[in-house]
This record gives sequence, structure tokens and C-alpha cells, in this order.
Amino acid sequence: MSDTTIELSGVSKRYRLRHGWYVTSLKDEVGRLTARLLGRAVQPREEFWALRDVSFSLERGEVLGLIGMNGAGKSTLLKILSQVTVPTTGSFVTNGRLGSLIEIGAGFHPDLSGRENIFLNGSIMGMTRREVQRKFDQIVAFAEVGRFIDTPIKFYSSGMQMRLGFAVAAHTDPDILLIDEILAVGDASFQAKCLNKLAELKEQDKTIVLVSHNLTNITEHARTVLWIDHGTIRMFGESDAVVDAYLEHVTADMSAEDSHHEARDSGGDRPISILGVAMADASERPQNRFDREDTVVIDVTYSASRPIPGVVFGVSVHDVHGYDLGGVVTDPDSIKVTAPADHGVLRLTLSPLLFNKGAYTLDAYVLDPATRRYYDLRRRALRLVVDGHRAASRESTGYVFYPHQWERLK
Amino acid sequence: MHNTTADLFRHWELISSFALRDIKARYKQSALGVAWALLQPLSMMVVFTLVFSLFAKVPSDGIPYPVFAYSALIFWTFFSNAITGGTVAMVSNASLIRKIYFPRETLLIAVLLAGLLDLGVASLLFVGMLFYYKVSLSLAALWVVPLLLVQITLTFGVISLTSASHVYYRDIGHALPLVVQLWMFATPVAYPVSVIPGWLHPFYMLNPMAAIIDGYRRALILGTAPELPALGMSVAITAIITTIALLVFKRAARTFADVI
Repeated sequence: MSDTTIELSGVSKRYRLRHGWYVTSLKDEVGRLTARLLGRAVQPREEFWALRDVSFSLERGEVLGLIGMNGAGKSTLLKILSQVTVPTTGSFVTNGRLGSLIEIGAGFHPDLSGRENIFLNGSIMGMTRREVQRKFDQIVAFAEVGRFIDTPIKFYSSGMQMRLGFAVAAHTDPDILLIDEILAVGDASFQAKCLNKLAELKEQDKTIVLVSHNLTNITEHARTVLWIDHGTIRMFGESDAVVDAYLEHVTADMSAEDSHHEARDSGGDRPISILGVAMADASERPQNRFDREDTVVIDVTYSASRPIPGVVFGVSVHDVHGYDLGGVVTDPDSIKVTAPADHGVLRLTLSPLLFNKGAYTLDAYVLDPATRRYYDLRRRALRLVVDGHRAASRESTGYVFYPHQWERLK
Repeated sequence: MHNTTADLFRHWELISSFALRDIKARYKQSALGVAWALLQPLSMMVVFTLVFSLFAKVPSDGIPYPVFAYSALIFWTFFSNAITGGTVAMVSNASLIRKIYFPRETLLIAVLLAGLLDLGVASLLFVGMLFYYKVSLSLAALWVVPLLLVQITLTFGVISLTSASHVYYRDIGHALPLVVQLWMFATPVAYPVSVIPGWLHPFYMLNPMAAIIDGYRRALILGTAPELPALGMSVAITAIITTIALLVFKRAARTFADVI
């Protein structure tokens, strides 16, 4: 027997678009049928191909990263891999027990106790009662629910429910594991546990499919990456190469997209507004791709209709989910708008940039320091892509590289 | 794809987990708890005795009417509750079906299993009534076992069809209570088969539940075998319905997650 655990060949998935929450009603169907019988034109159902001709295979012990924009087909692919649905055409074979950390806690019943739910959820995930029994103490310890184990879980906090769900899922001992944004679960100490579990599973030669928007996580854990775009495989191969190509593509896409203009209040009577935000490199050439140690120059152009006593400018960096990774603001006393200005320009220099490999967006805003009210806020005013050989180095994890030194004292 | 014995065993555990969930969840936070399983057929029996026996003077083949009605009502309640619960089983577990793979029919078998427990509870009162009315069981009572098997198979077939349809057409959920009620009046629950005119009898027995319910009554109270030709017909219809239903269900279940 070969060591191939997942094999997809020519997998496509079609969805029929339906309108309204009702899947379909007999009335509609009868309507379609009578129209057909009377020889009238029947409105064709709208179709949508979520996946087109996807083929790849994974060996045992391989870790595959799955990347792509929202709506590219990642979720559909996971649904097919987890056998929740079947492909419209093509074939899909798995060899081994499948586990998923996609929908943790699905199947929990709010009225049942933590204990009862562990057994219920365990058997839904394919464990036998004896297996659950054997791992019960480990699961409870992992979930940190302790003395609440016999309380109905509707009284649990959402964090506790999530931990319990993850704990059961992580103990199913699958041969193939599907993980979707594992690191979005729980607080820091729990995330550490999750990462340890992931490392443990990797050591045990499990086949893992990992979906994450965090490209650092992807390159850290996966040796192979599948980039899926508009339902088709755009690229499949060694992780660094695929992630680099993906970033290249994302950058091109970004420049095409317009930024949003928000906080528009009381019809144009804005004392100060941001006209534009531009990004350039150290030699002032427009640029939005940088390496980690590069200098980035950001120019915020504004206009003010009258003198303003207090004003604070700010720029914040966000990940693809919009999560604020860190921002900088001006000192309230440093920038004064003492007279109306037509084309004021404020320059922010980040030197060095220090963000790790990935794609980021930048917001620019100006606010009143006393009331914290935005005079103007430009969401996703800029897109920033960090790659290059320094960014790819494994010296640091997460989003930010900070200046540091290691020293051996003893 | 999944035909090893280990898989079957695991699925059996999954079925019992679902059944346990259904039972526990149903009776948690309810003061009377499992007594509800008894109250449903009991109250129907009281109403039937008043309306059909006392007011309408419906005959009961010489059996005291309460025990006559109750012997059918416990099995009919099992049937109608399983139909009602089974039909919505996919949709009420939609969040699960959308997210996790497991054999979908386990949900249906779990509904049947949970219903059997209620049947057992309701039967306790029946035993008491047998003593009270001094009805003694004969060996013919063993017919209950095959009758129950046919009934369970038929129920499974019906809910395979209705639950799969319910995923696509929610109309099924609205129509069902009505259909089940009409079905009860087409079945000898409140009245004996003997009141059916001779010419209608063959058509009447096309309802597979008719021979089954009549069979229970004969086996438990009259101490005779079921009406065999009618039961044979019932078994045949059950086999046809269930075979078709299983094929339909298996096919539809593969893409429940896309439409549910």
C-alpha cells in the first residue's frame, strides 16, 4: 500500500444559487413544472463553480498550507476533504481516519453537561466510548473546565465552550487533520497549548492541512503550500516559493483596489480632512513592497478649513482580518494647525519597518485629542507587502520583528 | 467506503450517543420528566374512551374499551412521535450536518431508539391495566416482536423519505402533523377492524399500519395470531417503501450540507 493519504483528481464543485432563506418551496417547484409543461421559458438556475478541476495528493506526514483570498474556494475544499459534501465531478480518496479542527464544538447540546457533551462530541468525531473514557481526564485537563464538568454547558462562557470543543477535537487521534485558523482560538496560554498540540501531531507523522491567513504561520509549519484562486489551483509547491508568488499577486491586486473613506459627518463641514496617503521607499520612489529592514516613508496630505486648537494624526497597521497590529500617533502638542491649509503634508518615516513577511493594510486618521472624535478616517488607505530574504528569515515569529540580542551568561 | 466492522461498531455508538442526547435533553428541566412518555397515550386513552366508547358507542370486540384503545395507542404514539421527530431530524441538526461528516441515517435510528424507551415506559401502565382488567397474556403475545420489527422498519423507511424531502422542502414539516393525524383515523386505533365494511376491507389493509396495529391487539388481548394475509401485504409494502427510501436517502444525504 502506498503512503498517499489524500488524493484528489479533477475535483469540481458546483453550487446552485438560491434566493431567500428558504431552500426552495413546493410552490416554486410547481411553478417551474407548470411553466415547463405549458412550454414557457423556465428561468435557468444560477450556477456557481466553487472549485474547478482541483487535483493533488498528500503523502503521510506531510503538512500542507492552504492559502487564497476570501471566497477563493478554501472552505469548499475543506468541506470536501472533511467529507461533509461530495464533489460534483472528480474523485476524492482518503486513507485513514479524518479529524478536523474546523468547526470545534459543533454538536454540543446546551442542556447537557460538559461530561455528557465530551462523550457526545467524541462519538460524533468518530471516537468510541472507550476511547473517550480513556482520554477523558486529559480532555478535561486540556480544556481547563475543572469543577464545571457536570454543569450544563449553556452556563459556560463562550471561551470555555471553545476550549472544550478544541480539547475533544485535539484528542480524536486522527491520521489526517484539517485545521482552519487554529490560532484564533482562546487566550494566549491556550494558544500556546494549541501550538504544542500541533507540533506534537506533526511529530507523530500525521498528515495536516492547515488554513491560515497568517503567512508566517503557513511558512513556519507547512513545507508544501497550495494556493487556490477563483476555485482553481494557482500554484502548488514548496511553501516559500508559493507564498512569495501569492504576495506578488496580492500586491498587484491591492493597487487596483480603492481605499475607503469613512467618518463623513455633518455634510462637508469637516474642519480637517485627509486628501491622500502615499507610500514610498527611502529614495522617495512610490513603492508598497518592502523587506523587513527597509525604510518606509508615508506622506499624509491634508487640508484644513480653519485653525484647529488640538489635532492628532495617526497611522495604524492591520493584518488581513483588520486586527490592529500597532499604530503610531503624533504628540498632541507637536502638530498645530494654526491657519487654514490647502495642501498640508505630514511625513511619517518607519525606519526600519520591522514587520515580518505578510500582507498588511494601513489606516490613516486625524482626530480631536480631547473628544477622541475622528475628524477623518481612511480605512485601508494603503496596502503594504513585506517579503524579501530578510523577511523570510526564521529569526522571529508572528507579525513583528523587534530589535534584540541574545547573550549567553553562563 | 466504510464497511468494516469497526466502523459499524463506532456508528452504533454514535447512534446511542444521539439517542441519549435526545432523551436527556427532552427530559432535562422538566418536572415530570420521563412520565411524559406515559401521559401522552394515557390522556388520549381517556379522551377516546369518553368520545368513542361512552358517547359514540363504538364497539371494541368485547374488550373493555380503555385497554382496547391503550393497546393500540402506545404503539401508535411510538409511530407518530418517531415520524414527527424523524422528519425534522436533519434540519434540527443542521449545524452539525453543515460542519461534520457522519452517516446521516444515524440520526434517524437514534430517533427510533429514543422512541422505544418511551414505548417501554408507556407499556408499564399497559401491564398494570392487563392486571386490572384481568386479561392474561397467551403465547400469541410473542407476535409483538415481529410486529414491532415491521413497524420499526416501516417507520425508518417513512422518515428516510420525509427527512430527506424536508431538507429541500420545508413544506413537509407543515404538512406532517396533519398527515399523521389523518393516518391515525385510517388505522384501527380508536375502533376495531370489524367495523370496516367488507368491500372496503382490502383497500383499508393497503395501509401497512392497519395490520400491524390490529395485530398487536389480537396478540396481546385476544390471544390470537395477526390476520396473516393482511400482515403479509403490510410486510411487502414496508419492504418496497423502505428499499426505495434508503436509496433516495443515501443519494440525497451526500449533499445535505449544501442545501440544508
